[in-house]
Amino acid sequence: MMIRVNGKHWTWYEGMTVEDLLKDLEDSHHYTVIRVNDKHVSRPYFKKTLIPDNSEVFLISLIAGG
Amino acid sequence: MTGYMIEAMKTFDYKRPVVDKGYANQTLLIDISSSDISIHPVAEKIKEVFIGGKGFDLWLLWNAVKGTTKWSDPDNSICIASGPMGGTPVYPGSGKSIVTTISPLTETVIDSNVGGYFGPYLKFSGFDALEVKGKATKDVVIFIDGVDEKVQICETSGLPDDSYALSSILTKHFAQGKPRQISVVSTGPGAKNTRMGCLNFTWYDLKRKRVRYKQAGRGGIGSVFADKCIKAIVARWDTVSASTNNPADGIALKEVGRRHSKEIVELDPKQNDMAKIGTTHLVTIMNDFDLLPTHNFQYGQHPEAENVGQEVFRRIFDPGYDGCWMGCTVACSHGVKDFVPLTGPYRGSKVFVDGPEYETIAGCGSNIGIFDPHTIIEMNFYCDAYGLDTISVGTSLAFAMECFEIGLINETHTGGTNLSFGNRAAALDVVHQMARGEGFGQIVGQGVRRMKSIFARNYDADPDIMQDIGMEAKGLEFSEYMTKESLAQQGGYGLALKGPQHDEAWLIFLDMVHNFMPTFEQKAEALHWFPMFRTWFGLCGLCKLPWNDIVPEDNKNTSEPAKVMKHVEWYAEYYTAVTGRQLSPDGIIRMSEAVYNFQRIFNLKMGFGRREHDDIPYRAVGPVKPVEYESRSERYDQELVEKHGVDITEMSTEKKIEILRKFREEQYEQLKDAVYERRGWTPNGIPTIETVMRLGIDFPEVLELIRAHPNDDKG
Repeated sequence: MMIRVNGKHWTWYEGMTVEDLLKDLEDSHHYTVIRVNDKHVSRPYFKKTLIPDNSEVFLISLIAGG
Repeated sequence: MTGYMIEAMKTFDYKRPVVDKGYANQTLLIDISSSDISIHPVAEKIKEVFIGGKGFDLWLLWNAVKGTTKWSDPDNSICIASGPMGGTPVYPGSGKSIVTTISPLTETVIDSNVGGYFGPYLKFSGFDALEVKGKATKDVVIFIDGVDEKVQICETSGLPDDSYALSSILTKHFAQGKPRQISVVSTGPGAKNTRMGCLNFTWYDLKRKRVRYKQAGRGGIGSVFADKCIKAIVARWDTVSASTNNPADGIALKEVGRRHSKEIVELDPKQNDMAKIGTTHLVTIMNDFDLLPTHNFQYGQHPEAENVGQEVFRRIFDPGYDGCWMGCTVACSHGVKDFVPLTGPYRGSKVFVDGPEYETIAGCGSNIGIFDPHTIIEMNFYCDAYGLDTISVGTSLAFAMECFEIGLINETHTGGTNLSFGNRAAALDVVHQMARGEGFGQIVGQGVRRMKSIFARNYDADPDIMQDIGMEAKGLEFSEYMTKESLAQQGGYGLALKGPQHDEAWLIFLDMVHNFMPTFEQKAEALHWFPMFRTWFGLCGLCKLPWNDIVPEDNKNTSEPAKVMKHVEWYAEYYTAVTGRQLSPDGIIRMSEAVYNFQRIFNLKMGFGRREHDDIPYRAVGPVKPVEYESRSERYDQELVEKHGVDITEMSTEKKIEILRKFREEQYEQLKDAVYERRGWTPNGIPTIETVMRLGIDFPEVLELIRAHPNDDKG
């Protein structure tokens, strides 16, 4: 029942979405994209994307493009 | 391949100088009309003002051409340079070359940056920059041999036309058993028969035992190369180490290089994973934010985008190290092994395809309605082999397809081809026609600006609608980002010196998603700082990806996260370690400003570079057609009501479009005013006398040009 967020352990619960996680982390940065395992998840999908148990989550502070 | 001939018709022996603090301190001039080869010293003043790379190229080109010089004139030169840090193997992204010439698309100066080993090998062979002028009467190969200290102009016959086969043969021919010592610059038949030819720059992949390619794509430089009858330029150099560049402080260089490399190795797998998937991560991200150009920039999303996204290419790319310069830890130049084209001269053969990157996926994929990775890879392969720029090909095809769909052109014009969006066979067929210089492909190969004229003149197509939907500015096709909802990015494209390419400023997320720059002044500040900082990479021989595509974990807590100041400071340290000149982050901006303003004035010299030339088509600003408006009606309705106080009750979509257009076009003009002021330019977009004096570019010809354009004229 754990996930890792930027390498640190974090308690996971059934039904946890990306939006829930960011709220729980109390991280005010305006993330546009985060990674759950190998998959990038964009802000429009934070609310409906479930985080599986044992996931590796990476918070990406900037998408540079171009 | 048998039966080819390469024979030296001119050999020039020289004594190679020792590279000192990143500079060879001389340039090489080759006139292929007369076969004259000469070496010219680089004056200290030129180093101080122009730094290297694009700066040196621009200075050489400025002195080579007149304001009346056309792209196909013998006076037009092709200039190639790396930069003082170019060729450093211990700092990521340090192998770039910049190429400049007068463009067949824009008719003014164009610059294009590219990986591969050529620029560093050129410098280590003794030349900070190469200028090739004149025109040969038959195909020549130029060989710059830094190992044996000679430059040769060679007659050739029997060599293949396509860049894919040609580069492999030339690598083997000149390598003397050591192919890693060779880098080839070449193009293909598409370059000869269109205005959008690219140059392929190679490096030899020791692990895969094959030649790999990167492209100087933008602006038709390959077409100039082909027009000069240059078959290829080959550089040969020996082993490279951190000391080959003879840095001022080797210990400091290794330390700052180690820091940046280590950070990338640690963080890239946690962020965008570019060492495995390159820039393909952007496809689905752009799609999610309604920014992936689809159907000629009409829409920003498509339900099939995932079919050409990172998860697909993660499976398709051949695993392994893919750095386009030695030691780069970003290593994003991936490729597809054992690909079998279904069409064209390589049909049924197994080939290695270098790419695709994001721009090619969007340009030769989503923007022409193709969401099939195989077709995109095949388009990528043939564009490279034929020497065609995938961005201009994609954007030009997208324009032609929309013209076909709305009835401005039809099958009688396309040679019987149904050119609807998504027609994969038709898209590939047009690319093959471009290479052969035949049929409708020959027209598409002229680019969007000339297609608009041809369609209006020959097919009676409506010029006004084509002006709105033809995605070119300054004659260059837009690269592959949607700008409609980001005023700052409209400026990022429209105010870019060479035309709408994203390498000056990519501000979409900062502006549209983060809303970091709500005022005109803030946008103008961003449109000053980012183009200046990004220009600096092109002066020094560097790739910009290590700067902000992998960022420190604590970057978000800094005062200006978009600038990634920790890395900016590292770059200043890096410059000082190589050149011995002290540099601060602010100094970087000042260095770039001189070259940036000089390039703006170069445009003026060629008859451009004024306010009117910074215009962009309305599709880049807002919705042209009702279907576009309706695809984002909530956003547009809200803007009309809340921002502009318009009562839209029972208003038709056409009327809303008309009103929105007025507001948005006014905003773009206001943005121009704010940016010009911030950059120290007149309202007509011309650098002032004070600006050029402050920057040390007050050369007599520069002052004369500025004085010939009154400051109070808005054009």
